[in-house]
Amino acid sequence: MECKQAVSLMHDYLDGDLLSEQANELKSHLEACPDCRAAFRRLEETEMMLFAANRKSESVAVSEDMTDRIMSFLPQPKKHSPAWSWVRRHPALTAAAAFILIMLGTSIGFWNADTQLVVRGSDLNRVQVEGNTVIVPEGTIVSGDLTVERGELKIYGDVEGNVTVIDGSAYQASTAHVAGQVKDINQAFDWVWYKLSNIVSEVAYR
Amino acid sequence: MDNLETRLVKLALKGDQRAFAEIVDLYKDRIFHLAYRMLSNRHEAEDVVQETFLRVYRNLDRYDPGQKFSTWIYRIGTNLSIDRLRKRKPTYSLDAEIGDQDGADGYALIPGDNRTPETEYMISETRTTIHEAIDGLPPKYKTVMILRYLQELSLQEISDVLDMPVTTIKTRVHRGREFLRKKLESQQH
Repeated sequence: MECKQAVSLMHDYLDGDLLSEQANELKSHLEACPDCRAAFRRLEETEMMLFAANRKSESVAVSEDMTDRIMSFLPQPKKHSPAWSWVRRHPALTAAAAFILIMLGTSIGFWNADTQLVVRGSDLNRVQVEGNTVIVPEGTIVSGDLTVERGELKIYGDVEGNVTVIDGSAYQASTAHVAGQVKDINQAFDWVWYKLSNIVSEVAYR
Repeated sequence: MDNLETRLVKLALKGDQRAFAEIVDLYKDRIFHLAYRMLSNRHEAEDVVQETFLRVYRNLDRYDPGQKFSTWIYRIGTNLSIDRLRKRKPTYSLDAEIGDQDGADGYALIPGDNRTPETEYMISETRTTIHEAIDGLPPKYKTVMILRYLQELSLQEISDVLDMPVTTIKTRVHRGREFLRKKLESQQH
């Protein structure tokens, strides 16, 4: 074995990862080579002194108030509101809630967007419109349903179906006769349901 | 089972300031000694300690519990120290006067237990030689030697801290050791 290789093995030995076979090779080389023996001893001493010199007897210590100093330097802890942590814990529910909110939002948007009187029905010829008022005159018969949005409905005659008033008012004279139901929808929420069930039935009948 | 550090990190993440103070107490000395050996300057070393914990605090949520906490914090402290070393004037060398040596910190004035002044002197001589020799090493050797002999990290841990292959760490330890051996020999003659 060459001395150069022996030195490399000495370092591996000090690192604690010398295989037993290599250890034997190194040992026989050291027995034969006084220079390497001396070099090995000095390396071992160096290793010991390196560890010893840096041991905890180190007199330099960090300032006693270091912990306090660091703690005072820290930025304020990020505080998540309970709502936010709920959102983080329930992503699926949050997505569903967001979807419903957006749907409601757009529906309400539509609801706010319309300001004009709307009259719907299958038999509108017999219905009179005066300004914002829809009149079913006495003696006339309106076949089918009648829907009025944002207006007043005055019924003196007959309606052979359901009557729906959205965001308005319905007046039924003593002579009036409505075969179906009279529904008065004033709130956005009801309106949304009405709209939704309309969409559903439209889809269903297509 | 979580170890102490992982538990403290979890508590600190929930906003428990005392848990973080506990982490600081556990590591402030080690990081300080690391930085002090790297920079040979008490003031700068304390700056590094503060910055290390500030970074730990800010990145607490990115700490991977699969990794040893010590490895993580050593990496931060080591990198901050190396950055400071590199920013120093290039004229800094082995011959340059070392500003803040042990003696200046009162080290030589405090006698150890049961030690004669002679042994005390010899130990402090050797220690000074070793510290000066490590101080004079280029940063890449210096870092490895300090982590190995001051912090007593294993070669594998040093490789994790510095994110370098173990073989590279070994080569540096070997060269550093040879360098120190020659330094000590020249002192003895």
